[in-house]
Amino acid sequence: MTNMKISSSELRLLFARHKLLAMLLALALIWLFFWHQTNGGFLRPNSISNLLLQMSVTGMLACGMVLIIIAGEIDLSVGSLLGLLGGLVAILTVNLGWNTWLSVAVVLAAGAALGLINGALTTRLRVPSFIVGLGGMLAYRGLLQLSTDSVTIAPVPDDLGAIAQAFVPPGLSWGIAVLIIVLTCCLTLARRRRHHRLGLKVPPRWMDALKVGAIGATAIGFVMVLNQAYGVPLPVLILLALLGVFSWITNQTVFGRHIYAVGGNVEASRLSGVNVMRVKLLVFMLMGLMCAFAGIVTTARAAAGSPSAGIGGELDAIAACFIGGTSMRGGSGTVYGALIGALVMASLDNGMQQMNVDTSWQMIVKGAVLVLAVWIDVATRSERT
Amino acid sequence: MFSQQPLFEMRDIVKEFSGVPALSGINLSVRPGECLGLCGENGAGKSTLMKVLSGVYPYDSYCGQILWEGEELRSRSTSDSERAGIVILHQELMLVQQLSVTENIFLGNEMRLSCGRMNYPAMHQRAAELLARLKLTDVNVAAPVMNYGNGHQQLFEIARALAKEARLLIFDEPTSSLSAKEIEVLLSIIDDLKRAGVACIYISHKLDEVMRVCDTITVIRDGKHIATHPVATLDENGIIGLMVGRALEARFPRTERQVGAVVLEARDVSCWDVTNPQRKRVDNASLQVRAGEILGIAGLVGAGRTEFMSAIYGAYAGRSVGEVWVAGQVVHIAFPADAIAHGLCLVPEDRKRHGIVPQMSVAENITLASLSDYARIVRVDSDSELATVEREIARLRIKTASPGLPVASLSGGNQQKVVLSKMALKTPKVLILDEPTRGVDIGAKYDIYKMIFDLADRGVASSWCLQNCLRFSV
Repeated sequence: MTNMKISSSELRLLFARHKLLAMLLALALIWLFFWHQTNGGFLRPNSISNLLLQMSVTGMLACGMVLIIIAGEIDLSVGSLLGLLGGLVAILTVNLGWNTWLSVAVVLAAGAALGLINGALTTRLRVPSFIVGLGGMLAYRGLLQLSTDSVTIAPVPDDLGAIAQAFVPPGLSWGIAVLIIVLTCCLTLARRRRHHRLGLKVPPRWMDALKVGAIGATAIGFVMVLNQAYGVPLPVLILLALLGVFSWITNQTVFGRHIYAVGGNVEASRLSGVNVMRVKLLVFMLMGLMCAFAGIVTTARAAAGSPSAGIGGELDAIAACFIGGTSMRGGSGTVYGALIGALVMASLDNGMQQMNVDTSWQMIVKGAVLVLAVWIDVATRSERT
Repeated sequence: MFSQQPLFEMRDIVKEFSGVPALSGINLSVRPGECLGLCGENGAGKSTLMKVLSGVYPYDSYCGQILWEGEELRSRSTSDSERAGIVILHQELMLVQQLSVTENIFLGNEMRLSCGRMNYPAMHQRAAELLARLKLTDVNVAAPVMNYGNGHQQLFEIARALAKEARLLIFDEPTSSLSAKEIEVLLSIIDDLKRAGVACIYISHKLDEVMRVCDTITVIRDGKHIATHPVATLDENGIIGLMVGRALEARFPRTERQVGAVVLEARDVSCWDVTNPQRKRVDNASLQVRAGEILGIAGLVGAGRTEFMSAIYGAYAGRSVGEVWVAGQVVHIAFPADAIAHGLCLVPEDRKRHGIVPQMSVAENITLASLSDYARIVRVDSDSELATVEREIARLRIKTASPGLPVASLSGGNQQKVVLSKMALKTPKVLILDEPTRGVDIGAKYDIYKMIFDLADRGVASSWCLQNCLRFSV
């Protein structure tokens, strides 16, 4: 009996330490299952290309949402905001005939501005963000229906559609893959140096070599598989770039550190001179900006602005964050975790669609997976505080 | 005086965390009507011992025996221990503020009528009886707990323990938020409980209280049992010697220094209560602090020391007015960030709530206030950040295996050093310290005093808020 106890606690430790590995393992199992069930169809290049494209919208929202949750807030309005901004870009280009790039710039600015409004309501007027989000969810959706007369706006110009439908040229993809590998090597070396100086345990060489090797293999495999389809879809590249930018923000910048501090202990942060209001405002603004990105991609992909675009998007984004190990109470979480969460959600959607699972069952399964993932996360936390 | 068998006994308790011993061979025993003082520095293993004792760690997770009235006690959980009659009163109050006094006293232990209805008349009556035993007769037991102050609430907790028919009460730093008068009431009630045959274990850093209320004192250090002596044979310095393992010749590393010009002046500061805007918490208070001066601000709990200081610092939640002058110029401070920009830094009283960010590492906590100093434009230069952190850890003797560990894993004294270091890195002109050594052991206290005196030598003014600052007024 004692033996069993030790092994279960060891398992816990392993799990807690290698959360990323565990998430990837779960993802692999999900993929394996669908691969088996669809007679290999799930992992064909076209299908993977489609999966990543599908994931990119949720991923963009998750990038912003993870910061919001780390800061100890929540934003339920993002699905409607995505729809509204996607509708706006369609209205500007189709109904008003504006230049595409000007419209995109205006929509990005509008997204940031609407995010700022959400943030201002939360921080300045001190309405709880849950309520602001709930209100926004209704109001933004209503605004979208009002401005589109509840009809689909189509067709959008080709250059707008290209944002979601274009592919990166194969050569350029290879270049980017090489860049990623070089960057990973440099970052790993830098981290080893830093850990050494911090007096933290430096992982054995083979372990880091394995990690770099795995990332390199993934990058190469990724480009190889996608080049067999049409290439890397442009939104996927945008999402990768966003992953880089957001990881950099959270790990390297003063602002990023302040997000974690504010979410971990608001009072201690305020008394340390952190401008809590500004941190939260900026986080909400970034969320609005991400809604604009996601809205534009959604409209471009459908080649139309739909009044029902983005319904349920907030739930997918929030679920992605929690599946990716973000803490409900704020103060901890990672961008890459949230993106793996988004990939899990998209895989479930995509796989079950290919299996022709009834949509009601799809919802039940996704709900169960979310609860299961968070339960595992909570159960493997080393200690409650 | 105590001829009976021990009520409670621990024999050779050993508790390890993944191979590292936290307790190695602790023995202690309490007889009915006896009060045992448990002394030890932060990190000596007192909390671990209490968790073993109260059943937080189930009986097969440690080695050794726990005897209750001569029979082995095997608690699987805290409720098993409570059923036996062991009740622990935590440092933080464990009351539900919105519920009534009665509801709190019987929480989880309610008297029932049929269909699960609460038997309010019986509970109110019993609650009033219990409170009368504690000499509280002016309490409306149907009113919410939040209507009463900390001193009363502490007594409600005792009433709750008595309602469970506790025979061994464990007090963990019970007086850390009580005023001198409330402490006296609490200690006299412990005397009464002893007379009624209740056994007590009293854990406190305040040795005067331990000397006053305990019959026997057990000292532990580094998880080991050091000594158990009747209190009559010990004095405070003797206990300290046993706790730290060497005689601390100077408890206050005082140095003489010249006091300079006035750096901080607050004029006519008034604050109004947050929930009751009619009530003044601070009425036209003023102060002056000179460079290199250490100013003590005395006052009982509730006297308005904390409110006064947070109003100066721009952190007071309610309405406040007053003028603040820094280095001869009037400054406008609306937020703590403004205060810090003018060279005012605050070390708050409540370390857990206002001092540390528990999930973040020691390093990240130390540089939280001064992070922009290590930034090139927006990116943090981790090299220079780390260099500073390591220097601070060495200078303040912060005990941590690595600066990358979460700050919550440190002991209270070391957490306090982290908070102090965080504010000192802003190179303040004036450092405001609100009870900076609360819940901190003697060794760490010495380090903290030393750091303040070092800062004063460099011309930094400090103002201390202390309940008991007789030893400090400069």
